[in-house]
Amino acid sequence: MIVLAFKNFIRSNSVKIGLSFLLIAGIVSLFVGKQFIEKQEQNITETAAYQKEYIARNVHHHQDEIGLLLYYLKFSFVNETLPINGLSIGQRDVNSSIQSLTIRGLEAQKYDADLNNPTNLLLGNIDFSFVLIFLFPLIIIAFTYNIISEEKESGTWRIVAIQSKNLFLHVLQLFFIRFIGVISVLFFILLLSVFFLKIPLESIFFSFVGISLLYILCWFGICFWVASLQKSSNANAVILLSIWIVLIIILPASLNNYLVNKYPVPEALSTTLKQRKGYHEKWDTDKTQTMNRFYAHYPQFKQFPLPDKEFSWLWYYAMQQIGDDEAAIQATAFKEKLNQRNRASNNIAQFIPTIHTQMQLNEIAQAGLSNHLQFLEETGKFHEKMRLYFYPKIFGEAPVNSENWNKFSIETFKNPQESGGLQSYLSLVVFILLFGVLGWVNFKKSIYQV
Amino acid sequence: MFSHTEILIANLFRNTAFRNKAVFLLTVFIGLLLIYAAFSGWINFQKQNEIRAKYQEQARKDWLSNPDKHPHRMAHFGHFAFRPKAPLSVFDFGMESFLGNTIFLEAHKQNTVNFSEAGFSTGMLRFGEISIAMVLQVLLPLLIFFLGFSSIANERENGTLKILLSQGVSWKELIVGKSLGIISVVMTLFIPIIVATILLWALLQNMNISIDESIRLLLIILVYFVYLVIFCVIAVLVSAISKSSKTALTSLIGLWLMLTIVLPRGSQALGAYIYTAPSKAQFNADIENDVLKEGDSHNPNDPHYKSLKDSLLTVYKVDSVQKLPFNYSGFVMAEGEKISANIYNHHLEELLKIYDKQNSFSKGMAFLNPFMAIKNLSMALASTDFASYINFQEQAEQYRYEMAQKMNELQIKFISNKKPAAGEKPHTIDKKHWEEMHEFVYKEAEVSTVFSHEIISIFAFIFWIGLLLFCIRILSKTLKAI
Repeated sequence: MIVLAFKNFIRSNSVKIGLSFLLIAGIVSLFVGKQFIEKQEQNITETAAYQKEYIARNVHHHQDEIGLLLYYLKFSFVNETLPINGLSIGQRDVNSSIQSLTIRGLEAQKYDADLNNPTNLLLGNIDFSFVLIFLFPLIIIAFTYNIISEEKESGTWRIVAIQSKNLFLHVLQLFFIRFIGVISVLFFILLLSVFFLKIPLESIFFSFVGISLLYILCWFGICFWVASLQKSSNANAVILLSIWIVLIIILPASLNNYLVNKYPVPEALSTTLKQRKGYHEKWDTDKTQTMNRFYAHYPQFKQFPLPDKEFSWLWYYAMQQIGDDEAAIQATAFKEKLNQRNRASNNIAQFIPTIHTQMQLNEIAQAGLSNHLQFLEETGKFHEKMRLYFYPKIFGEAPVNSENWNKFSIETFKNPQESGGLQSYLSLVVFILLFGVLGWVNFKKSIYQV
Repeated sequence: MFSHTEILIANLFRNTAFRNKAVFLLTVFIGLLLIYAAFSGWINFQKQNEIRAKYQEQARKDWLSNPDKHPHRMAHFGHFAFRPKAPLSVFDFGMESFLGNTIFLEAHKQNTVNFSEAGFSTGMLRFGEISIAMVLQVLLPLLIFFLGFSSIANERENGTLKILLSQGVSWKELIVGKSLGIISVVMTLFIPIIVATILLWALLQNMNISIDESIRLLLIILVYFVYLVIFCVIAVLVSAISKSSKTALTSLIGLWLMLTIVLPRGSQALGAYIYTAPSKAQFNADIENDVLKEGDSHNPNDPHYKSLKDSLLTVYKVDSVQKLPFNYSGFVMAEGEKISANIYNHHLEELLKIYDKQNSFSKGMAFLNPFMAIKNLSMALASTDFASYINFQEQAEQYRYEMAQKMNELQIKFISNKKPAAGEKPHTIDKKHWEEMHEFVYKEAEVSTVFSHEIISIFAFIFWIGLLLFCIRILSKTLKAI
């Protein structure tokens, strides 16, 4: 019986069109993902080559002053892009994965924007997460909106009701058949992605698959519940589409407006302004005061006294340092504001499966705000490391040639891989159970109604 | 203008539509969304502009409060430009969230415009934002389709279509009448929206309304009206050719999804896939290489600067730059600034050309998809599009260049050509000069620029009007009652 029903399902033209649409969109998304990953790799290669050439040229020009040389030198720090990022590009196209920094003031460099065509950002990527979150539900809706209502409308439901021993089981079978159809396409696309994007078969990939599967189940749950309301096909279509619009367009967009207004980020502007003023006014203030603050920050450099000259690199880098120090309060507030935003959206997302899924997939693919904040944090550490390495050499006026400049290639930040744990599945499981039980209760009551 | 029959059909349609509970609920729901959209747009506009104005003022104060200094120090002290939001951004957020709003302006260096909302986002932004424009562009067409899917298909199913036609109602009258009916229902939402937008927009400008802004608003009202009418007619035409109301509904839902969700992303993704833009590293390296080719002011043996020096020495008949009657290094920096700014602008132009190519698919898509036409045109009219942003960036760069050259000029004029000896105070000039550099004030482009940027979208609208008139004509002759 179920085999026959499956054959009947899969032979229908609309099913073939629906599944091919998903398949094609899925494959397109893999191409988009691959291009994105390749572009990231190319950026890194280009940056590495540029850094090498740039250092060599400047070392050649500024042979006698290491302080002046380091005024110019830029060192790049890369946020590693995982292959799975090709499935969920997330915020990686907005936020640069490469930071190129001099050892001068950090706060003036850390937030530099990437080069982007904003129309691409506005209209959005067709990555796999888009296909999963936006398009899969549509096809699920198209396959299930008239499961029972169509038979009722054509009058065949009576026959089914009489012939079937367990009508509820029959309904479940109908849903199961469609689930199998949709899930095969999902697995096929994900399997393709393993080869195409060279995604290692590790736990994070399986969490990705797990979340995707639960998301699809969640939509089947919603459709199951709507079918249990026993409305007409037209009504089902309108209700399901409305749910889709609310979950995919209206709720996320309204919440986004809410978060933007609730957590504006003036701290970003105050940090930059403060940094500039903090550094620049030191040109006109008492040098010893600046130096005392610098020595208080780095007692280990007390051994380098301020030379009796109008200008010295020790003083210059101390001024730069104080600029950062003075902006520290604003910078911390800035970071805290972004963390607040991140926490607030994660909390809200628990209650909205679409946002939750997107954020979890981004999290797994290391493409969310958490990853970016982590990267900024590590950028600060990298910058500090470079500073501490070069400060003694600059203050001790080490000869430029005493340094092996070739060793300064780009460095990479590897975010420890985490799958969100059970917590990340929980919210989706709750939704699946909720709609499943609601639908079941309704069906028990009304399944034999004609 | 319309026949008696057409108006009769329209009135009949409107009265039945308003008795439908689902339509009523949907209308109320969309109405509430619009109130929220207007409210959050207003809050956002107020907050953001307040923040930006505050720091713009702060930055200017910081600039002016500098003591006597060497002008080149001032050129590095620099200034900030904060991009103010346009008044009509309350209506259409456009690209605002993806564009930076803060740029640091200093000598020798074109910095990036930082701190876009998207950079602070958790990824939720990618689902979109709720603005009045978004509701009008995305949700109202769907409401129209819900209203109109059964308009003719239902009459056909009930058999009333035959009766109507046999009573002498023509197909054209039926289509026009039903379309008018839907339009009149939609206007009950559209007109209050427009009134609210006008009020909000006027209040936000403290009633100081410029002619340019008013023209923008009028055009917005006009194009949205045309946009909604296009969808009303599409709904009726699809209903007219469908065998049953169910087919009409599913076709219209499918069409809506294609037009608002799939095609816009698809066309842009295609453009971005075909034309790859350079990475930031590549872009900067290319500029630097060109600057080095032209002349490296840090290299004492650079041919460009060497010949510049030689010609100066000849003209002033002196044997060393220290003997020149003006500050030589200021002169060199002015020359360097000119060269690097030109090269930067040239590269930026090339980059923008690539972006244009990337966008060409989604722009051209307007002929297949009225949604793209309204999206682009509406952003442009609200000054929240990329062209407005580029306008800001250009003005900021212009200001940066003027500031750098002003400081170079002060150095050339007032700073001694001899380096201060050991123990001597560094050269400075009086702080009164800082005021000579005027404050950065962003000027919004005139509405006429919209016509040149969005000519494709405008033609697309004309094309759609023509196409639908043509369809009504053809279908009126070929449609069957059964």
